[in-house]
Amino acid sequence: MSAVSETIEAPRAAARGGNGSDAALAARQVAYEQRAFWRNRTRAFFSFGMPVMLLLLFGALNSGGRIQELGNIPYVTFFLPGILAYGIVITQFMNLAGGLAIQRDNGLLKRMRGTPLPGWAYVGGRVGSTVAVSAIMTVVMLVLGDVAFGVHLRAEAIPAVFLIVLLGAATFAALGIAAVSIIPNAEAAPVVANVLILPLTFISGIWYPMTNAPQWLLDVAKIFPVERLASALHVAFDPLNHGSPFSGNDLLWLAIWLAIGTRLAIGFWRRETAR
Amino acid sequence: MTEAIEVQGLRKAYGDVEAVAGVSFSVAAGEVFTLLGPNGADKTTTTEILEGYRARTAGDVRVLGHDPEHAERALHERVGIVLQEAAAQAELTVAEVLTMYGRYYPRRRAVGELLELVGLEGKENTRVKLMSGGQRRRLDLALALVGDPDLLFLDEPTTGFDPSARRQAWSTIKALCRLGKTVFLTTHFMDEAQALADRVAVMVDGRLIAIGTPAEIGGRDTAPTEIAFALPAGIALSDLPDLGDARVSEPAAGRALVVSGAGVRTSHAITGWALERGHELRGFSVSQPSLEDIYLRLTADGAATEEAIR
Repeated sequence: MSAVSETIEAPRAAARGGNGSDAALAARQVAYEQRAFWRNRTRAFFSFGMPVMLLLLFGALNSGGRIQELGNIPYVTFFLPGILAYGIVITQFMNLAGGLAIQRDNGLLKRMRGTPLPGWAYVGGRVGSTVAVSAIMTVVMLVLGDVAFGVHLRAEAIPAVFLIVLLGAATFAALGIAAVSIIPNAEAAPVVANVLILPLTFISGIWYPMTNAPQWLLDVAKIFPVERLASALHVAFDPLNHGSPFSGNDLLWLAIWLAIGTRLAIGFWRRETAR
Repeated sequence: MTEAIEVQGLRKAYGDVEAVAGVSFSVAAGEVFTLLGPNGADKTTTTEILEGYRARTAGDVRVLGHDPEHAERALHERVGIVLQEAAAQAELTVAEVLTMYGRYYPRRRAVGELLELVGLEGKENTRVKLMSGGQRRRLDLALALVGDPDLLFLDEPTTGFDPSARRQAWSTIKALCRLGKTVFLTTHFMDEAQALADRVAVMVDGRLIAIGTPAEIGGRDTAPTEIAFALPAGIALSDLPDLGDARVSEPAAGRALVVSGAGVRTSHAITGWALERGHELRGFSVSQPSLEDIYLRLTADGAATEEAIR
């Protein structure tokens, strides 16, 4: 072995090469993050498989069920957009809040900071990857809904759903990164994420319609992005809606949360990389 | 030769506590410079200031001509860092991780070449999370080398290595130096400092108390010679010949220790006496204090020593 080391040379010519642009670097980061994401089976199950499983479970349990209050639409038609919203929120939070907290604690973020890779390209790679997971989840749920439960989405609503998913995923990605600030250590990450997210899902019309809820609770829920994302998706999926698949108000609120989240996420990153 | 690292009057304070209390030194390009010191001497604080992880309170620091506090990308592209503890992407394989990091640098070494350098041949398809601690440490070194850096920061790089892996890391580091690379090393292992360092600096309580070559530091080259041997049966210290100014003692029963400023003359006197009397001196040894002896002496004296810094 030492014989090899003794003959160490400058890098072989073949190994030399120019750098692509930073955007290309960030895109490559997305690809590596994707590879890593799907290889960690447990994490992939909890953030991707779980919402899909819940859709199958609740869909099967309530097959044939209808919801009077919402115009007698099938239960699955109501449940699918909600569980999709839940899936997006969970994916972003688990992977960004939880994932970055782990990487902060185990020194990976520090290692990355010692390389020439710009910080935004690293975070961008992680965000891009989790947004991609949300997009894949959307495809899977749309197909499952259609094939298994007969939830047919009208053609013009399909691009709308993907746009809403992208906006929602970006919003919860930013909020997930921002949330690392209040996660004291990696072990606490799932708890903090659950405390932040789970109560909101119960008042956001994800598991059951909020038709019997008091008005003040509906008003409170409407402040938060979980309800706005679920509501935007409900509007797009609503079989009785023959107008625009977009609910402008919800999207505006999501955009506001995206701006807040981005500001907080940048704040987190600045503190994390403060010298 | 240009200086790879120049540090003048470096201070780092946390509130009222001065962690680094005015440190100055320079590291020439192509040199292996080793920072030694007990735990809590703020070696890591100093190293992290040079690496660009921390801001300094005062002083002037230049690393490859850059101020690391502003951590320009141009500097990161020429520096490799082995941190004491830092995870790599656990789900990726060794080859994937090395390729991924390689893309960050304008110059890079090929994966196969890196694996040879650190002794991880055949591990390219192993997931990082399945590697042993020692293997991960070698991957750390490979990741620091991936961008063909001009300057390497190695913070206790061989902790957790088995003896042969350590030898191999040493020869890699030496080979890098022959290519003109500069190495800034912190270590707890005196044999590592002895084997690698062109110069050694000893840090205690945020101050450099000694700096010099491993052979000379702390007056090691001019320190008295120590001659030790087992006293032959029936011979006491008082039976030894007159050894002039040398100090003679019996640190353990039957064991003689002679400390002399004139090692050649004293050992000649002892061996001459033994030959003449027909004594075999078991365990006979002549030695200078080891780097470890000097280090322990320096750090025990602590800040009180405050030797003039070369």
